[in-house]
Amino acid sequence: MRTKIISLALIALFLTAGYALPQGLTFRGYGRTYLGVLTEDGSYSIQQNTLDLKLEHKRDKTALYFNPYLYQYPDRDINLKLRQAYLDIYFGNIDIRLGKQQIIWGKADGVFITDIISPKDLSEFLLPDFEEIRIGVDAVKLNYYRGDHTFELVWMPRFQPTIFPGAESYWAPKMMAFPMTPTFDYSNATVESKLENSELALKYSALTSVIDFEIMSGYLWDDNPTYHVRKTVEPVTQQLAGITVTPEHHRLSMAGGSFSATLGAWVLRGEGAFYRGKYFNSTNLNLTDGVVIKDYFHYLVGLEYSLWDFKLSGQFIQEAILDYETEIYQDQFQNTATFLASRDFLRETLNLQLFVYYGFNNEDALIRPKLSYDFTDGFEILLGANIFTGNGAGMFEQYDNNDMMYAKVKYSF
Amino acid sequence: MSFKKMINSMLMMSLLMPVLAFGQEKLTGLQIIQNVYDRPTGKDQTGELTMTLINSRDDQRVRKIRQYLKNFGQVEKKTMFFISPADVRNTSFMNWSYDEQGRDDDQWIYLPALKRVKRISSDSKSDYFMGSDFTYDDLGDRHPTEDTHNLLREEKYNGESCYVVESIPKEENYMYSKTITWIIKDKWIGLKKEFYDEDDDLLKMLTVKKYEKIKGYWLILHSEMSNSQKDHKTDMLLENVQVDVGVSDDNFTERMMKRGL
Repeated sequence: MRTKIISLALIALFLTAGYALPQGLTFRGYGRTYLGVLTEDGSYSIQQNTLDLKLEHKRDKTALYFNPYLYQYPDRDINLKLRQAYLDIYFGNIDIRLGKQQIIWGKADGVFITDIISPKDLSEFLLPDFEEIRIGVDAVKLNYYRGDHTFELVWMPRFQPTIFPGAESYWAPKMMAFPMTPTFDYSNATVESKLENSELALKYSALTSVIDFEIMSGYLWDDNPTYHVRKTVEPVTQQLAGITVTPEHHRLSMAGGSFSATLGAWVLRGEGAFYRGKYFNSTNLNLTDGVVIKDYFHYLVGLEYSLWDFKLSGQFIQEAILDYETEIYQDQFQNTATFLASRDFLRETLNLQLFVYYGFNNEDALIRPKLSYDFTDGFEILLGANIFTGNGAGMFEQYDNNDMMYAKVKYSF
Repeated sequence: MSFKKMINSMLMMSLLMPVLAFGQEKLTGLQIIQNVYDRPTGKDQTGELTMTLINSRDDQRVRKIRQYLKNFGQVEKKTMFFISPADVRNTSFMNWSYDEQGRDDDQWIYLPALKRVKRISSDSKSDYFMGSDFTYDDLGDRHPTEDTHNLLREEKYNGESCYVVESIPKEENYMYSKTITWIIKDKWIGLKKEFYDEDDDLLKMLTVKKYEKIKGYWLILHSEMSNSQKDHKTDMLLENVQVDVGVSDDNFTERMMKRGL
């Protein structure tokens, strides 16, 4: 009921905005309707209507930004949330941002390496726009500027984990295999909101005529839980009596960097992060909780180039577990590549794009062709497909039954 | 005065003498284009740019941009903030253009949905800017040494005495086979420019509709680029122009690209 009242208030605000807006307030956003069809059986994977509002008020030294959005589904209650809601204070060389905000780090496209400050909403896997995947975090962000150099300090008083789809969802990830059906214990699944559990991150970045780069470090929480697996053994027979899985988040220290530079017609990008003391699941359930702690390296190199009016981009990504043990559930090296080709036609009103994720370890892929057309300015029609292929149990292959075609119509104002 | 300096001074004198002696002689095509290139436009500039794209059915699409320019000596920096249409609002674009011959511009774009300033290649100079009839190269300052310039004639155009200069690109496979520009003699403004395709057929025509002297600088305020082969044109209007107002260096940083207007 409360959500409905807020939704109605939001719609009323939207409808009366033209009459009641205070001077200096900008009011924009979009409405969108989105229909997805599974190619396997023709069932609708998604029927969603969206209203996304962005209200902004600026003065010389302060600003307010408020971005509520609602998703409406035919079979669910209206989902009203805040993507961002923050205050800005501008001093001479310092900007401070307070409140719920998306904080984006790194240079990679479509891959999260040092971009781990804002957690992800994976309710629809990696399919929504990235603005919708990233969750705003409650934070104080302080930026100090010296010319083209920036120092950024982020303090997040409350931990926000990754949002995973429910077990009934098309996008529920496959769990690791157990010798028997486990019992889940969620008693340690949340991190208590208190000062000692807050997160801190620091970044130095520069934008120069030769190269753009960032160096960063963070004392964070792993956004994804580790599944602690405890066995119960029958005392007499020593037979396995039960398995309890306890999802738990752990502290994670990270240091990394990224760069971007042009080499003639090419744009070269790189990004890497070193994680100290990351928890990994082991297939050896005799280990304590079935987990091991290892250092971990995640990096990327990428190139961009234009050819025959096509914008082409390729990235190679590797995740490496240091001091590897063969019983770790994840491969020692996880290699992935991305490829993007995009071309505009009809004076940039028609765009044809192909984006591909390819996993080398399991030879699986997510192929995403799409065609968008601006019928008029601010009115976009988008047709696309998400095709999952592969052999084995890769990240993309697990959704092999979820190949879909979709249409989105978006009105921006 | 040292011997070396004396020799240098004598050499300079000997180089200047012909210029002084034949100062009233006709300028060459290169000198005319160099004068256009060197025409002062102020230390800094701000303005609001409205581009109207008009197709053969007279359908119009309007793009509004607020732009800042500043000359930092060896480098000219420009930042553009997109105001409309709605789906590109708060996108910003920054260009650093260098005096150094042959050095590519540095360019960045900020897309609000990605919340990231991204370095892009400036190699695609033949790409059309925001779907208009202007390529990135049409909008930038093409260095005079990139073309061979020939003074074709002198004639009156729209009541102004003009030099008519043909410019042929030195680069093979450039998007234009040649351009012909009508340049006002005492103002060094290109009043009209014709662009020819690889078959030497007329492709586009740039017409300057309004120019004005602001704070002692001749500036183009209103122009139109029409593509005769595609029956499409773009009207470009620069309003609220302010020159030498002490535009802050901050306007040419990642900070301001992200903050927007």
